[in-house]
Amino acid sequence: MARESLGLRRTALSVVVPVLALLAVVLPDLVNPYRLFLATLIVIFAVAGTGLVVIMGWTGQIALAHVSFLGIGVYVTNWLFSDVGVPWPIALVLAAFLASFIGILIGFPAARLRGFYLAIATLAFAELISRLFVEVDVVTGGIAGKSIETVRLFGMSSARSHWYMALIVAVLVFAGVHRLGGTAFGRCLRTVRDAEVATGSLGISSTNYKLFAFALSAFIAAIAGGLFGQLLSYASPDNFHTALLIQFLVVVFVGGVTRLSGTVVGAIFVIVSRELLQDVGDWQRWVFGISLVLAVRFLPGGLTSIGGRLRSRRSSSGEAITSFGEGVPA
Amino acid sequence: MTSPLSAENISVSFGGNHVLSGLDLQINRRFTGLIGPNGAGKTTLFNVISGYVTPSAGSVEILGSDVTGLGQVEIARLGVGRTFQTPKLIGDLSVVENVMIGLDGRTSLLAQLSEGLISRSSARVKRARAIEVLEKFALAGVAEEEAGSLPLGSQKIVEVCRALVTEPALLLLDEPAAGLGRDDVEQLVEPLRDWVAAHDVSVVIIEHDLELVNNLCEDVAVLHLGTIISRGTPAECMSDPQVVEAYLGAGFAQRS
Repeated sequence: MARESLGLRRTALSVVVPVLALLAVVLPDLVNPYRLFLATLIVIFAVAGTGLVVIMGWTGQIALAHVSFLGIGVYVTNWLFSDVGVPWPIALVLAAFLASFIGILIGFPAARLRGFYLAIATLAFAELISRLFVEVDVVTGGIAGKSIETVRLFGMSSARSHWYMALIVAVLVFAGVHRLGGTAFGRCLRTVRDAEVATGSLGISSTNYKLFAFALSAFIAAIAGGLFGQLLSYASPDNFHTALLIQFLVVVFVGGVTRLSGTVVGAIFVIVSRELLQDVGDWQRWVFGISLVLAVRFLPGGLTSIGGRLRSRRSSSGEAITSFGEGVPA
Repeated sequence: MTSPLSAENISVSFGGNHVLSGLDLQINRRFTGLIGPNGAGKTTLFNVISGYVTPSAGSVEILGSDVTGLGQVEIARLGVGRTFQTPKLIGDLSVVENVMIGLDGRTSLLAQLSEGLISRSSARVKRARAIEVLEKFALAGVAEEEAGSLPLGSQKIVEVCRALVTEPALLLLDEPAAGLGRDDVEQLVEPLRDWVAAHDVSVVIIEHDLELVNNLCEDVAVLHLGTIISRGTPAECMSDPQVVEAYLGAGFAQRS
């Protein structure tokens, strides 16, 4: 049964993926620039969510400084690109490495903390970084903020350029993280999450894996940040507030915190909700807060877990029938 | 012959509570049972041997190397495998992936990253090795199932497979039969006996299932209040008046 469903899934994927890829390539010709902007935002939120899947979903660590790493990506990429003259892709990667390094710094104390204390530590770190966004005005422009120099690909419009840049980065990030998830590294992260007490006896240093997960998560957040900055065109410390963190948490918890596909579903949910709720202003926060609570309470695996839940319910009801000898396995 | 495990004068205290008091234990047999009432210090002794707890006094040697004060990871890499009272599996990974984790712990972080991004051959070798061990314990049929979907008995056996896949020199099993039905115990015991016969491994088992201890162990140590009160064959220990009084109870002596 498991093999059959795996085969069906592969067949479906072999049809769906090329169709989606084609759609993604021609999307700028199908929608207006504003819709393209929203689609780009969805891709960027999904990329940022991928970092949270690694640290929260796979490693089981509470990480509330994600927006800070995103901010580092926005500011440092822009500073290296527009002020120092580093080509944009290299600036993006350098900013991501800087965020990784800072991720490791926060990881050292965080690797020794759990639950409530870890949450507080990462939140305190986020506050510290938001203060730095104000203070290091050479890079950030201080409290007034700084304009972001736009990158254009081969003379395309900025909306079209941003879409393709986000798409290329998203494909690389998703493919890399997906591949890592299925390897020894991914298994070790999950061991830290589910069986930390057993890690030592298995020869796995939980501290090392937590540090690496913090670094990888920060790297991905900064990559998303570099792209996000392109959409902002002007960045100030106000952009990296708690409300944005809540939206990222909604992306992963409504979508499904352990699944990469969950970040896409969650990002669609957040960006579409933001659009539909434009008129209610700050009341949007209520909607995202309530969505987060409902998802955590009633659907811990997120929307992407619904299919699996239904399948297991169907198969368990099938087993119940056969146990009475009255039917065939579902 | 070097003893696989030699613990000398081990003492452990948590606050004012002396959990182990000057305990000596040498292992020279393939299967050694560690029995005794709850709170006797059996699991604490496992924690000392595997580096989870540093003793306040005494030393531990594994295969002739002093490991006192070493961390869990170093001790595991010296060839000590262990299981826990409740199985510590990763529920959303498949059974075979859970067993592969035993081998992952022996792979450097760099090799793990290259396994995913550059070459998959080492992953294939790990998978084949894990399947081989699962086959011996009649679990190859559920290798691709999610580990969390298995019944408790099977999960405990998967955990034993995960410990065995690294071919440890010393295996510590903490209540492997607790909560298992007779069929599960048989599914565990016979392959384990075959494995030990074919490999250079010594097994220490904490167990309250005295039938299993009697059936499997040539050597038994009985712990009570942090010290060993009896040592010998299962029959010798179970007829020892001190053991009857501290652990088995008069009813057990009359039944046997």
